[in-house]
Amino acid sequence: MSRLTPHLTRDRTEQYLLGALPPDAAAELEAHTLTCDACARLLQEEALLDEQLYEVAAAASREAVVLRPARWHRPAAAAAALLAVAASVFLMLRPTQGPGEGPVPVPPVAMVREAPQEDDAEPLDIMVACPDLATQEHCLRSASARGLLVYHPGGMGEVPRYDASTRLPDVALSSRPAAL
Amino acid sequence: MTTLQSRQETDGALRPGAAPDEEALSRRALAGERGAWDVLIARHQRRVVVSLLARGIRVDRAQELAQETWARLIQQQQRGLLTELRLPHLALAQASFLAADDARRTRRESVDSTVEDLPERQQPVDPSQSAERRLLSEEQLTRARDALAQVSPGARNVFLLACDGQGLPHSEVATRVGLSVQRVRQILCEVRKKLRTALEEETHV
Repeated sequence: MSRLTPHLTRDRTEQYLLGALPPDAAAELEAHTLTCDACARLLQEEALLDEQLYEVAAAASREAVVLRPARWHRPAAAAAALLAVAASVFLMLRPTQGPGEGPVPVPPVAMVREAPQEDDAEPLDIMVACPDLATQEHCLRSASARGLLVYHPGGMGEVPRYDASTRLPDVALSSRPAAL
Repeated sequence: MTTLQSRQETDGALRPGAAPDEEALSRRALAGERGAWDVLIARHQRRVVVSLLARGIRVDRAQELAQETWARLIQQQQRGLLTELRLPHLALAQASFLAADDARRTRRESVDSTVEDLPERQQPVDPSQSAERRLLSEEQLTRARDALAQVSPGARNVFLLACDGQGLPHSEVATRVGLSVQRVRQILCEVRKKLRTALEEETHV
């Protein structure tokens, strides 16, 4: 009886825990773990990993809420500034582009960053964290052109500065702060 | 049918995310609406079962306990004992309580009966080892966080959406990020593999 059902593989166990197995395959897997201790153990380990992943995700998303632009690494800030320039160029060029004109040479990075923001479709709640004092002006201009809120590094703008300890209201950050 | 339809209506009214949707569902469940309960149970059932499996409970027993969890929650709601419904946390707490209760009862029974009848079947894994492993150490967490930082932003977004504790179903994650459900699951498997190696690194050292 138990010899007929195959042992669990890691992949199949993962699929089962994800709920991706068809019902009969899932039932077969369950029946097998009832008769095979090694497979029951494997299933438990995978389930435990699942729980740990939830823990990791909870820790990670809690950290992502805290905005401290002053501590951003230099290379990251430079990359963000480049992205901001590229995105704003893309934004400025896009409306003028008629349907008949050829494609404007846009750096592919800007295209990639652009796509998920448009999915959100409610730009009013998006807060833009300006990376640096050097690029702040530019960032502010391009963001206000899009009607976004800007988070200034110096805390001088329309959005107040938040300390690391006070959590931003979750509603305001239903989408994560987007670096332009 | 009607519940599905009204759910879509609330979806349309409160577009930004499923959190308000979940909130509305919880409110209706608290008011005693069976349809809302059904939707919530379907959404969180897998999470509850997996959490029970992670405690070393057999599949069949885990499913029984999950059923009992929901039954108890509905019972409490009908008696007016539930003031707020925060899923999946409430269900997970209830399930872990039932699991502990269950373990206690079987242990007591095994003391009463003969040694041969010891219910090994119910505890396939050494519980001390799994209890020790259940809590992640700080190093493990930072390791996992580093590994997560190396994952591509899209994949990380999918992972965080799927695992952030709200219990979003994969189909909903898929519509939010604009991918297919299969692709979402594939991404979740990849992230999981990376995090597994990150978490296990420390235990072998």
